Amino acid sequence: MISVYYFGAISLILIGLYAVLVKKNLLKMLIGLSIMETGVNLLLVSVGYVAGRSAPILSEGIGPNQAVDPIPQALVLTAIVIGVATTAMALSVAMILHEKYGTLNVEEIRRLRG
Amino acid sequence: MNGQYASLLIALPLISAFFVPLIKGAGKKAVKYYLIAVTAVQTGIAAWVFQQVYTTGQPIIVMAGAWRPPVGINLYIGHFAALFVLIVAVVSFLMAVFSLRAVKVEPIDKYAMLFLLLMLGATGMIATGDLFNLFVFMEITAISAYALTAYNKTGEAAEASMKYIVLGGIGSSFFLIGIALIYGSLGTLNMAQIAQLAGGMDATVAQVGLALIVFGLAVEAELFPLNAWAPDAYQAAPHPITAMFSAFVVKAGLYAMARLLYLMQAVESWHSVLKLLIIMATLTVFVAEFAALRQRNVKRMIAYSSIAQIGLIALAFALGTQSGVDAGVFHMVNHAIVKALLFLAVGHVAVTLGGAEMERFEGLGKKMPLTAFAITVGAVAAVGIPLFNIFWSKLRILLAAIGAGYAWAAAIVLIASVVEAVYYFRLIHTMWFAGEGERISEGLAVSLMLLFLAALVIVIGVYPDYAWNIAQKAGNDIFNVAQYIKNVPLMGVGA
Repeated sequence: MISVYYFGAISLILIGLYAVLVKKNLLKMLIGLSIMETGVNLLLVSVGYVAGRSAPILSEGIGPNQAVDPIPQALVLTAIVIGVATTAMALSVAMILHEKYGTLNVEEIRRLRG
Repeated sequence: MNGQYASLLIALPLISAFFVPLIKGAGKKAVKYYLIAVTAVQTGIAAWVFQQVYTTGQPIIVMAGAWRPPVGINLYIGHFAALFVLIVAVVSFLMAVFSLRAVKVEPIDKYAMLFLLLMLGATGMIATGDLFNLFVFMEITAISAYALTAYNKTGEAAEASMKYIVLGGIGSSFFLIGIALIYGSLGTLNMAQIAQLAGGMDATVAQVGLALIVFGLAVEAELFPLNAWAPDAYQAAPHPITAMFSAFVVKAGLYAMARLLYLMQAVESWHSVLKLLIIMATLTVFVAEFAALRQRNVKRMIAYSSIAQIGLIALAFALGTQSGVDAGVFHMVNHAIVKALLFLAVGHVAVTLGGAEMERFEGLGKKMPLTAFAITVGAVAAVGIPLFNIFWSKLRILLAAIGAGYAWAAAIVLIASVVEAVYYFRLIHTMWFAGEGERISEGLAVSLMLLFLAALVIVIGVYPDYAWNIAQKAGNDIFNVAQYIKNVPLMGVGA
């Protein structure tokens, strides 16, 4: 079954991809990368989503049969952490680039394009 | 001894990386010797695992927390993983020794830490038996590779690293979408269980998922058109790291690609994904060889040549036949040795003479005869002259390609090989017949390593049977998926 969440997730991925491929400013490209990662995470969560069930935390009144699939949620947590690390790494490289070239425009930084 | 000790392969570099700041208190030199010690121990463990797997013929399966898969995450160290974990460890050890001489930029403790994490990531990618675990190890490898690329802190290094990060980010997103699709339709992340259930998967979903995974891994595996980062990163990274990139980081990506492809071979649309990969691989070989021809910087030239060879390996894996996979694994081994040799030698020249431009290689035969000899052996081997190791694996890949009905791919590879011969012989000519120079001291440790690797190239070239035997076993480990499923003790399958 195709849920509406898939469309949201995939449009986020495409918006992010567009920003990465088209934007000239390095920061905008990195924001695009983050949007793309968010879209992928949303897609992962929606894979395990079952309508009308609650978060996979066992508590009063919520047994294993009333919870959604916990594995994608665990995966998304990991993926978010990895995404943060990548973004932090990219931003520090962007800082070095700005120090060396005085600009964040990828066309002015000599070899970044092509 | 208990096979569970094989988990030390993952645990040791990780723990050691955390101890680096403590060691730094004992001085800057101590960090480098610590790095050598850790990689030496890792080599020891890897050698033990290798010996264990090849004498018993049984894979070592480590179950994390004693949970049986698919609930727990397992490591699968079969013939292939045992062989490549050993190569990763040996190359890391050699490069740790080389770092003593080659890495002068501070902060050395960060360098050591990232070095260990890079080794950890590649080992993990090769050994893991879980799809998401593979993703995590891939990201560990990638993030330490980004940081190491930028390590020299020059403008070029930062550019190369940024390019790598952007492409790598897109690649890992694609990979994750592929995982989501596969998990969504099979409900499992364990590789053995995926292989078991793959037959019942919807053909279109499988095709899209596999293609996305191939694209995602193509960034790490340097396949065209996702390899734009590689030459810049190879040129800008510290010399030992360049050798590590070429010798095993790329191989880990390629292996992951091959493993996932063959796991899903029960899927109906499997052959169309293989065709995609064959086209990508042939284009990689072709484009990279012609790009290499134009380079004035020797390190960059060898980087392009490395990409071309990787394309060749990917082609072998994409053939979908037993002989293709065996030949691909054989070429992976040979290529790891030759490229470790070439990057070590070129890096050595760059450290000693202050750069890797073609002009600096003039008269190298008189200045540093041993290094020049090592580069010559590596270059001749890379071209594929008989009696050197790559000849045998190239030949087997071509035969396998023709056998699988891809004669056009074999023809393109042969044409590209001619181009390869042109630029390598130009390099050899520059080294031996142009320019003059005084004899320079070459350093004992590096000379020994060069001789060791060159000897390995020639020994495998003259007596290929033993290495071919090992490669065949390792290839069978990838190709024979039924055996793979049988080896992993799954619980409650199909539930």
